Amino acid sequence: MKTTWIKGLLACSLSALVLAGCGSTNGDGGDSSGAKKQKLVVSTWGFAEDFYNKEVYEPFEKAHNVDIVLETGNNADRLSKILQGSSDVDVIYLSDYYAQQGIEAGAFEKIDRSRLKNLDQIYDIAKAPNGEEYGPAYTVGQLGIAYDPKAAGMKIESWSDLWKPELKGKLTMPSITSTSGPMMVDAASKVAGSAEFNEDKAFERLTALNPSVVKYYSKTSEFVNMFTQGEAAAGPIMQMYVGDLQKAVPGIEFVTPKEGAYAIINTLNVVKGSKNKALAEEFIDWQLSQEVQEKAAKAKVDSPANKNVKLTAEEAEGVTYGPEVVEKLQKLDMGFVNSHLKTWTDRFNREVTR
Amino acid sequence: MKKRYLYVLLAPGLLFLTLFMIVPLILTVGSTFFKDGGFTAGIYAQFFKDAYFLDILGTTLLVSVMTTLLCIVIGFPVAYYLSKLPPRKKGIMLALAIFPLLTSSVVRSFSWMIILGKNGLVNNLLTALGIIDEPLSILYTPAAMIIGLVHLFLPLILITLVGVMESIDHDLVRAAQSLGASRLTAFRKIVVPLSIPGLIVGSILVFVGSLTAYTTPALLGGKKRVVATFLYQNAITLNDWQAASAIATIMMIITFVVIGLMNKAAAKFKPKG
Repeated sequence: MKTTWIKGLLACSLSALVLAGCGSTNGDGGDSSGAKKQKLVVSTWGFAEDFYNKEVYEPFEKAHNVDIVLETGNNADRLSKILQGSSDVDVIYLSDYYAQQGIEAGAFEKIDRSRLKNLDQIYDIAKAPNGEEYGPAYTVGQLGIAYDPKAAGMKIESWSDLWKPELKGKLTMPSITSTSGPMMVDAASKVAGSAEFNEDKAFERLTALNPSVVKYYSKTSEFVNMFTQGEAAAGPIMQMYVGDLQKAVPGIEFVTPKEGAYAIINTLNVVKGSKNKALAEEFIDWQLSQEVQEKAAKAKVDSPANKNVKLTAEEAEGVTYGPEVVEKLQKLDMGFVNSHLKTWTDRFNREVTR
Repeated sequence: MKKRYLYVLLAPGLLFLTLFMIVPLILTVGSTFFKDGGFTAGIYAQFFKDAYFLDILGTTLLVSVMTTLLCIVIGFPVAYYLSKLPPRKKGIMLALAIFPLLTSSVVRSFSWMIILGKNGLVNNLLTALGIIDEPLSILYTPAAMIIGLVHLFLPLILITLVGVMESIDHDLVRAAQSLGASRLTAFRKIVVPLSIPGLIVGSILVFVGSLTAYTTPALLGGKKRVVATFLYQNAITLNDWQAASAIATIMMIITFVVIGLMNKAAAKFKPKG
């Protein structure tokens, strides 16, 4: 009885294999016949999709006779997919912090800077956020503090104001594993009064802040939601999202803290093994161009990294704009952050959020 | 002899499960025992000595047990009511009861945020009625998680209980009453014991579901973590798949232990004869 059972199973799995084999040969034959349009797979967040489709992807598709295929998701999910292999992504949009993780895991191709003709129009801070060998940043935004003056019952001007007792139970802070999490570790170290970064002092300050915090957010939508539900009255957030916030809750103010705002940098990289490396670099260059950058800034989709972008005062509302702002932003060393992230997350879990 | 060929019918399913469930499970569990080329169970020792992890595990178990108990308390009378309805009406009512399962857990959780928030329905109502002065903090607490999970999993216990209760012969209840039992006694001595199998299956589904739920605790829970969100942090944001696999293994073992215990309990309650 038993042997026949196994035989049956074997026969079945064999036939399945044969069938699978047939399937793939057929597929190959189909692909090679006929001149097909080139395909560029772009991995991105998927926000402002209408804008990107109309102003970024479509013009590029027409100019280069290529089909752009999108893969969308948050930083972590998309990077994790690439690190697990079996992905055909050519270009990936990532925050500098996740880009660094990708670089350390060897997930990206080295970029050919001679192809990036628009590079000299870009702010220095954006040229090589993860080193000369890897992709540039196409947007530089600032992380400051948004708050509802009425609900907070005070004026906020600096990072250290977050520690004021008036904000007890009214604060939402970024979770340690989100892009701005490590920036808060740095801010806490500054608030503790140390000129050099001091990890112990930083965590001591963050622990002292914990009773004020309602929830550590990991998505901007959570942040906005907490304000509309009256759960939070203040918290660090990117300037670009303040517009959405003000639509939901009128009266919200955004401040650049006295100690300095942090640079939120989003990068573009070519994924290792891309068969369309040259085209991918063309695409990156297109995203850096004054044309795209200006449209994105005016649509309030991305703050420009291109110095030639000119905005009126009204257009610049809610956008991180102008050399006097951009050049003052503080940038964390992502290599340093990455090498400490595991310890920081552990300490954050154990010491801060207990 | 013909029976032999019937086993072949199992093969496609078996092959699928072996390839896509059993092999990955073995790989997941296996990967947790190898570190630096040696065989070790050190990672588990670390977890169980770690007060932080035990705290998370405690919260998760508490939330799961509370969710299961609440589902039983709310679900049992509703299921009995449903099982007594005429078929047409029962179909409609059951469909309504199952409805929460058909909506995305993200949408469902956002609805609860609107209800439970400081500017939410519950707080507005309570303040308007003068019962409270200051809005209560419900959202972003374990209580919010439990509310969300009960809403999510109540249908599971309803479906299993209604199925079992329908098959209870109502003549037994009538016989008990004709022999002098009160309605309550008849319910307690006939309906409850005969519903135990459905109750056990339903409870297991709810408990395991709550134990492993991710979206609801992530959106409705506050600073308190559960095992599933901890696992996500390890795997996705820290890229520590070994720790994540170990957590997954611990969750699996807890699940098996709970199922075993519940089945044992069920055997005890089984009406004799």
